[in-house]
Amino acid sequence: MKKILLFTLICSASLFARMNVVASYPYLGKIVKAVGRENVKVKVLASAKFDPHFVIPKPSLIPAIARADMLVANGAGLEIGWLPPLLKRANNPKVRIGAKGFVDVSRAIHLIDKPKAVSRAYGDVHPEGNPHFDTDPHNVLPIAHYIVKKLSQLDEAHASEYAQNFSRFSAHWKTYLRTFDSQMRRCKGKKVVQYHELYNYLLKRFGIKAVAAIEPLPGIAPSSRHTMELISKMRKQHIGTILQDPYHEKKTAKFIAAKTGAKVIILPHDVGAVSGTGTLESFYNTIAKRLCH
Amino acid sequence: MTKKIILLSMAASVSLFAQSELEEVKALLAQQIKTTQALQKRVAELEKKQQHTATHAATKSKTVKHHKHQPKPIEEEGTYTTAEDTMPSEQHTQTFDQKSFLPDIALILDGSAVGRNVDNSTYETQYIPGFSTYNAANPNEIPFNKDRGFNFNYAEISMHSTVGPYFDADAIFHLQPDEFEIEEAYITSRSMPYGLRAKLGKFRSEFGRINAIHQHAWKFTSQPLVFNALFGSEGINDAGVQLQWVLPTDTYVMAGIEAMQGSNDVSFGDTEKNNLYIGYLKSSFDIGDTSTLLAGASILHGKNEQGLNTDVYGADLTALVALSSYSSLTWQSELLYRNKTTDIGKEKQAGYYTQLTYKYNQNWQGGVRYDSLYKNLDSQPDDLDRFSAVLQYSPFEFTKFRLEYSYDRSKAFGDLADQRKNISQILLDFTIEAGAHGAHAF
Repeated sequence: MKKILLFTLICSASLFARMNVVASYPYLGKIVKAVGRENVKVKVLASAKFDPHFVIPKPSLIPAIARADMLVANGAGLEIGWLPPLLKRANNPKVRIGAKGFVDVSRAIHLIDKPKAVSRAYGDVHPEGNPHFDTDPHNVLPIAHYIVKKLSQLDEAHASEYAQNFSRFSAHWKTYLRTFDSQMRRCKGKKVVQYHELYNYLLKRFGIKAVAAIEPLPGIAPSSRHTMELISKMRKQHIGTILQDPYHEKKTAKFIAAKTGAKVIILPHDVGAVSGTGTLESFYNTIAKRLCH
Repeated sequence: MTKKIILLSMAASVSLFAQSELEEVKALLAQQIKTTQALQKRVAELEKKQQHTATHAATKSKTVKHHKHQPKPIEEEGTYTTAEDTMPSEQHTQTFDQKSFLPDIALILDGSAVGRNVDNSTYETQYIPGFSTYNAANPNEIPFNKDRGFNFNYAEISMHSTVGPYFDADAIFHLQPDEFEIEEAYITSRSMPYGLRAKLGKFRSEFGRINAIHQHAWKFTSQPLVFNALFGSEGINDAGVQLQWVLPTDTYVMAGIEAMQGSNDVSFGDTEKNNLYIGYLKSSFDIGDTSTLLAGASILHGKNEQGLNTDVYGADLTALVALSSYSSLTWQSELLYRNKTTDIGKEKQAGYYTQLTYKYNQNWQGGVRYDSLYKNLDSQPDDLDRFSAVLQYSPFEFTKFRLEYSYDRSKAFGDLADQRKNISQILLDFTIEAGAHGAHAF
């Protein structure tokens, strides 16, 4: 009798053993949770309040990486300024770059804006392509699928559950995309200016034209000359919308808006970046609502 | 005669072979054309078929609205092909091409323009009373910003590469106008279990906070006074081994031990065998969403040139408050206490630095620092200190221009007694990091 009890206890313990997953950004945390459900314990490293390029590599982030079974990164160079030193210090061979537990979701995405020539003379360029694919909800499913593939490889015991979770999530997300698309279709052909090239995937998909950026080069703060050129360009082409992320300074956008009569729209770049965007759905809803209403 | 016949027959056979080759090629071409036509036909057929199934599926989805979703194993839902799956199987690199195995290489340059109230020949004779002396045959090394006017301080080449599944290799070559130095060269373990990591080679010790950080990443251009006084301009940078362990706790706790040769002759210098042992404990935690603390306690135990014990104790504290993505306030302090046994008795000396830096935005930051050597030998002054202020402009992440003023009351000059003179210095410095330079740790 005792033996059986012990056996079931051990069984249940191994059943309840949850995968420790660390996600670099909040949206990845949400996707991992959606497909991993009760079999994963998720810890997110970066705060959505800050620029995803410039996360402070605080040593306090190391313990979670040190104990992780899997690390889910955005990839395409977005974490290059902060994740490598943390990974090095965490001394966890399971999630080292190249290890099975290191999951770079950019591999599930066909990256756009891949520069033809790479040089730092062009600013903070990402040689692999634009890493900001999270602002387009159509990229959620490929990412989720990729994560499930990796989760199932690492945690074979729960592979069928991950598959089930994925099909449930996939069905839900496809329905969600239908309503999202219908909202977005209203602003097809719109012309916009953005601070940093954060929304290109979304804009491209829905035929919105990103005419220019407030940054003269990626990662370079606005210069007065570039701003003046931008103002005349916006006047000439009658561009009435400026897409501003929540973390950059808003002075330049407001100045341009005052000169051109354009409207500044603050679009979240990640789950939780502005209030009321705590879930994947509300995050994308906020983007659609603010961009197309 | 026979030669001619052979030659002739050879020529004939060549032309014959050529002819047969031509025919062969012609036949091949004809065959190719045939297969191409067949393939075109098939493509057309398939396209037609696909169109048909698409319309069929569309009508089907219209009619069957309530289709119960059966969870399928993931492999069968091949709708999402990933970039990894569609990787070209054909290799586009040259055979035996090793380009992808090249190490990451970075170039770091640093130079300055200096204005100072002490002339160069006097400045070279500097020493810190009670901590160092002036020896005309072997003057104290001044590695940066030595001369009034222009200084080219160094070019540094750093390389990083993965050796194999088990080790990474790093090397930093420090090149000064007439000196080549292996600043660091070490290997680090990649796959040790239980949160352990080992390092061996020549490296900067992680004793304290600033010792392991390179000059180009310092917030001020000069080394903290207490480190210069106790370890010289190089700091603790020696041949040895290191073992670090990240404890499996929710709060960051790292313990490290190092064994080194002890060739630093300012505090140690008995190199008959490896004589320097280092231990430290570091911990970090967040206060709220935007503030973080890092604290450490370190100890050095070694043998000095007289073969007697030198112990150095260190404590460090760093507090950072992030005000926005690009703006932050950092307070960093370190205290060092040295207990050196000599033939005469015990020498107890101590000092600290404390610095406050404010990053205004991506381009501008500024800071102030106070250095003090507050505990000295009985016969020596204990009012040695220095004030520094810095203003930094970075037009780009990897470019720094620094304007720094310092007022140094810790130096004496020449070999005469009581030659203390305060140094007032203004400096404009540039530092760049080009190439594949890894991100700096916290």
